[in-house]
Amino acid sequence: MPEGKLCNKQTVDAKEQLDALLADKGGKQYYEEMNHLDVDKKALRATLKNVVRSRFKTWLEICSHCGLCAESCFYFLANDRDPKQVPSYKIQATLGKLLKRKGDVDNAFMQECMDSAFSKCTCCTRCGVYCPFGIDTGLMFAYMRGILFSQGFSPWEMKIGTGMHRIYRAQMDVTTEDWVETCEWMAEEYEDDWPGLKIPVDVQNADIMYTVNAREPKHYPEDLAEAAILFRVAGENWTVPSEGWEETSLAMFAGDGAACKMQVESVYDAMDRLKPKRMVVTECGHAYRATVIEGPYWAGIKSGQPPVESIHYVEWVAEALRTGKLKIDPSKKIKEPVTYQDSCNYIRNGGLGDVAREIMGYIAEDFREMDPCREHNFCCGGGGGLNGIGRYREQRNVGLKIKRDQILATGAKLVVAPCHNCWDAIRDLEEIYKIGIRWSFLKPLLISMIDVPEHFKPTEEE
Amino acid sequence: MFDKILFATTASPTCDNAAKVAFDLELKWDAKLFIFHVFGVPTRGYSPFVTDVRTGETEQIDPDYVEWVKEEMRNTYDVLLKDSENNVIEAVVGVPHREILRKARKENVDMIIMGAHTRDENVGAARYRAVVGSTMQRVAKAARCPVVIIARPCTTCWKLFSNIVFCTDFSKASDYAFLWAHKLAKTVGARLHIFHASDIGMGSTGQAQGQQEIEERIASAKERIEKKYVSKIKDYDNYGIEIWEGIPYVEILKYAREHNGDLIVMAHHTREIDPKDAVLGSTVEQVVLRASCPVASVNHPEKVSEEPE
Repeated sequence: MPEGKLCNKQTVDAKEQLDALLADKGGKQYYEEMNHLDVDKKALRATLKNVVRSRFKTWLEICSHCGLCAESCFYFLANDRDPKQVPSYKIQATLGKLLKRKGDVDNAFMQECMDSAFSKCTCCTRCGVYCPFGIDTGLMFAYMRGILFSQGFSPWEMKIGTGMHRIYRAQMDVTTEDWVETCEWMAEEYEDDWPGLKIPVDVQNADIMYTVNAREPKHYPEDLAEAAILFRVAGENWTVPSEGWEETSLAMFAGDGAACKMQVESVYDAMDRLKPKRMVVTECGHAYRATVIEGPYWAGIKSGQPPVESIHYVEWVAEALRTGKLKIDPSKKIKEPVTYQDSCNYIRNGGLGDVAREIMGYIAEDFREMDPCREHNFCCGGGGGLNGIGRYREQRNVGLKIKRDQILATGAKLVVAPCHNCWDAIRDLEEIYKIGIRWSFLKPLLISMIDVPEHFKPTEEE
Repeated sequence: MFDKILFATTASPTCDNAAKVAFDLELKWDAKLFIFHVFGVPTRGYSPFVTDVRTGETEQIDPDYVEWVKEEMRNTYDVLLKDSENNVIEAVVGVPHREILRKARKENVDMIIMGAHTRDENVGAARYRAVVGSTMQRVAKAARCPVVIIARPCTTCWKLFSNIVFCTDFSKASDYAFLWAHKLAKTVGARLHIFHASDIGMGSTGQAQGQQEIEERIASAKERIEKKYVSKIKDYDNYGIEIWEGIPYVEILKYAREHNGDLIVMAHHTREIDPKDAVLGSTVEQVVLRASCPVASVNHPEKVSEEPE
C-alpha cells in the first residue's frame, strides 16, 4: 500500500479529511498505514536539494563531534547521559545519513527519523548556544520535520494540527463566528464586575491589535476577558481582528511550510486591514516565534519584520508597569517564593529575558531564578509540539524530570509560566511527579494585584 | 415558565437528586430537557488528551468515546428516561463551568439544574472542583438564568411547592431573585417568604453590636423590604416577611427548616472566585451545602419577568 487513506503525502485541506483523521482514535489506523507508506525517493532528493543548502551542509560537515552539545540537551541529561541523546549524534544519524544516502532510504529509516525529530528534540535550540561552531541542531531538526512531512511521515496529531490551520486558520476548529461570539460573550459575562468592559472587534487604527491562541476562545475564554480587563485598566485603545486572530502555528511544529504561510498571512492581512500601531501576542511562546520572528520570512517580507511592530504580552506588561499604566498595589505583591519559566521561544529565541525579570521585580517580593535561566534555561519538556503527541508521551514524561528538578531547587511553590505550552508541561509534571507546585499565567496574577481606578469598579445600586 | 431546562450533570451519584428534579420538571412544564455532561477536561496547550472527570484517566477522544459516554449516561438515567418525552443527551469536552455556560447561552435556556458538586466521596465531583475551582459557583455567578442547585433528595415535586423562601441582602441581584421567586410562587401557588438575616457577625471594627443597633437595623430592613419588594407584589397575598438576626447562612437554614421551605431563592453575587475560598466562601455556598431543599441562585434580569406567563 503506497499511500494510506489517512497516512499519506497529501495535505489536509477539507473538513472530511480532518474528521476522518479525528475519528481514528490515537492514530491507530494512521500509524498502521504508515508502516506501508512508500518513500518517494525522487521527490525526497528534490526536497533535500531544496532544504539542505550550504549552511546545513557546512554544519553537518564541520561538526567535530566534540560533544560540547551533549550536556546542553535536557534529553541527554534526563536519559542517564545516553550517548544516543547527544544532539550531534541525533542529527548526524538522521539528516546526516539521509543526505549521505541521497534520499535512498526506506520506510523504517523514515520512521526512525520521525521518532528522533519529534521525541528526541523539541527544537528548543539550547545546544546551538553551546556549540563552538554555532551549529543549530534544533533548527536542522525543524527542517527535518518539514522533509518528513513532505513524505507523509508526521505524527498523527501534527497532521491534524496542520489540517486545522489549513481549514480554520486556527489550531482548533474555531470559526470566525465562534470567535466574535466569544468576544461578545466574555464582555457580557464580565461587565457586571468591570463596568463598561468591551472587547472591540475590527476597530481601525487602534493602538494595539491583540491576537491569541485558539485554546483561549475554545476552552479558556476567561483569558480573553482578563486581557480585556488589563487593557481597559491600562487605558489602552485596542482591538481584536474578526479574522486573523490566531497566532499559533502547529504547522511550524509539523514542518508544513505552506500552512505556516497561510496561517501567518491571515494575521498580516488583519494588520493591513485594521492598520493598528502595534500588535500584541498573548502569553504564548511559539505563537510569538511563528508570527513575529519566523512569519515574515514565510510570508516573503524582505525586511524580515511583520507589517506592524509586534510584541509579546510580557513586553506589553513590562511597558505598562514601567510607564505606570498598570500600578501594582504593594500590599498585594506575591509574598511567597516564586519562580519564572523562561519559554525558549520568546526568551532564548526572542531575547525577552530582561522584560520578564522587570515584571517579576514589580510583582514578586521573593523572586527566585531557576538555574540555569534566561537564554540558558531548559525547555519545559513539552516544546515543539511534544505535549500534544500521544506516541511520545513516555519520552516526554522522562524529559520533564529536568524541569521538575530545576523548579524544586528554587524552593518556590509557584511558577509563573506565560506560555501555554510551558504551562501545560508544568501542569503535567505536577500530575506525574506530584511535587506540590502551582503555576499561572501573568494575567490572573496581575488582576489580583493592580490598583483599579474607582470608575472601573462596580457600583452596588440599591 | 420553563421551556428549556439544562440539567448539567456529573453523570455520577452526586447528581442523582438533581436528576430527579430535572426530569420531573421536564414533564410538569412540558419543557425540553438538555441532559448535559462535560466529561473531559482539556489541556491548555496543544494536546489531544483530556482528563476524564469520572475515572480521572487520561483519554484520547474520538466519536466512539463520546458515544460510549452518552451510552453510560443513558444507563445511569435509565429509569428516569423511560417517562421522559423531550430530552437531548449531550456529552462534551471542555472546562465544566465554561461549557455549561456556553450551552446555556447557546440554547437560551430558562433554568440550569445542577448537583452540588461539593462532595468529596465522588471522584467526578471532586475533580470538577479540583480542576476549576467550584463549577457550581462559577455557573451560578455568570449564568443569565436561574441556577437551581440540588444537594439532597427533594421530597416535594416542584409543582406542589408550598413554601418558597426568598432571602435578600438588598443587592441589585437580589431584586432579580425576588422577581423570579415572586413569579414562581404565583405560578405554583406557593407561599412566598421574604426573609432577611441581619448579620451580627463582628464587623471590621471588631465590636459586637448592641441590642439597640440590631433592632434599628431590623426596623430599617423591614422598611426596605416593604419598599423594594412588597410594593411590587400585585394580586397575591400569600406572602410573609421575616427578619432575623445572626449569621446569615445559619438563619436562612433555620428559617427554611422551620417553615418547611421547598425552595430557597437567593442572589449569588460574590466577586471573589478564588478556587481556594470558593467552595465554602459565601453564604450561598453554605446554604447550598447544608439546605435540605433545592437552592435557586438568581443574579441577572434575564429570564425574570414580573408577570407570570
